[in-house]
Amino acid sequence: MSDQLDFIVRNLPNLLFGFPGQRPGGLVLTLVLAIVGLGLGFVLALPIGTARAARSSLLRRAAQLYIWVFRGVPLILLLLIVHNIFSTGRIGLETSSFQSALITLVLYSSAYQAGVVASGLRAVPEALVEDARVMGASPLEAWKTVRFPYALRVMRPGFTNQAITLFKDTSVVVVLGVADLTTTARIALGSDIDNAPFWVATYLTVGAIYFVVAALIARIGQRRFGAEREGKVGLVGRLDMTSVR
Amino acid sequence: MFDWLTPDIAAELARGAVLTIALAVITAITATAAGIAVGAARMSSRSGLRRLAAAYIEVFRNVPALIQIIFWAFAVPNLLSPDTRRTLLFDNAVMDVARDLTGIPIPYYGLAGALALTLNTSAYAAELFRAGAGSIPQSQLDAIRTLGASPFVALRTLIIPAGLRVAFPALSTRLIHNMKNTSLVSFVAVPELFHELQASIQSTFRATEFLMLGAVIYLILTAGMGAGLAFIERLLNRNRMVGSVLPT
Repeated sequence: MSDQLDFIVRNLPNLLFGFPGQRPGGLVLTLVLAIVGLGLGFVLALPIGTARAARSSLLRRAAQLYIWVFRGVPLILLLLIVHNIFSTGRIGLETSSFQSALITLVLYSSAYQAGVVASGLRAVPEALVEDARVMGASPLEAWKTVRFPYALRVMRPGFTNQAITLFKDTSVVVVLGVADLTTTARIALGSDIDNAPFWVATYLTVGAIYFVVAALIARIGQRRFGAEREGKVGLVGRLDMTSVR
Repeated sequence: MFDWLTPDIAAELARGAVLTIALAVITAITATAAGIAVGAARMSSRSGLRRLAAAYIEVFRNVPALIQIIFWAFAVPNLLSPDTRRTLLFDNAVMDVARDLTGIPIPYYGLAGALALTLNTSAYAAELFRAGAGSIPQSQLDAIRTLGASPFVALRTLIIPAGLRVAFPALSTRLIHNMKNTSLVSFVAVPELFHELQASIQSTFRATEFLMLGAVIYLILTAGMGAGLAFIERLLNRNRMVGSVLPT
């Protein structure tokens, strides 16, 4: 038992920050991947989500196709495809595994966030925008002061969910060997048969780290935005089984 | 143009795709069933049961699917002594039959992967089911109670059918996600589609071709699953009972 504890204590700094000389890695790198993926993904999701909710059917279709493709392929396969395109120099770029992983996560999360953006924009009551126009706002002003802020409020719970989902999904970058939390755990255990007794403790620790951060994101989302997680959004009323009895 | 796609490789990929579909369908069913059970427990009047269900949901939802898969497949067997491990999980008559039946070289890994996917997706399904059941009007709950129905009967006749129907669109999204997550069991040597794609790339060095082919197959699979789920959703809505009609 003390062996196990010793192994975990010895590797905890590696799991959190990466191996010495290869920092940042571990949880820090996982967070970098998730934050950049979510942030740039949002920037990309704005035009795509707007197109998805646009009047022009051509724009709508194009956005729909983008979303369909990036949501229809497993992330693990998407990572290999992007790495295959961007790292080989065929489009004038030779990205590292880390850069390929970042590009993939941005594209992947933008497709999910575009859905959130589109449904947020569609939830804005048209009368509200028309009122702004009647008050003399230009179309751009109406968009900036009424439509977008209103939509953003509707989108918030969706973004919290996307943040949690993307944070967990970054674990898949292990397929490219990017030294995130999951990869660090695999390297720490290695193929050494002597490490076999430490597998359970190590993966419990890794699971606990992911759990704590994901729960923290959910808590922050709830506090900041009053958001509840997936499924509860938009549904009212609560079942009280005691009243069924 | 398709010289890289030899009959042998095509057959391997087809076997992989069949295993992917089988895993997706089986875990969709087990996850939905477990999700309903956990979701019902989450709404129980017994606080112990409620808390247990809440913990289940939080743990299996907040830990990445990949970690859960590796944990059950590779880590857990280490808890047993080498001999017990071998006879119990790897070399026995049941596993031999499973190997012949499924074509998975180490059936325990397939089982562990399916368990991990079930736990992960059922945690989401439980929350979705709970939210769906939450939209059942109080008047209907009162009505069924007044008629003298036991909690079990109330669950079977009202709460599960109505809750599942309301939750179904969101549940479909999650089940399609679960289908994509089956690709993660390739990490534990289960020869599903993604695993076979990787093997083909390693044997032919034709990465671009196989990756594109893989993307097309997965798009077809997710679209197919989406269509199947939409069909089930229509069935659920067609057969709805008069007594549990929800206001739309």
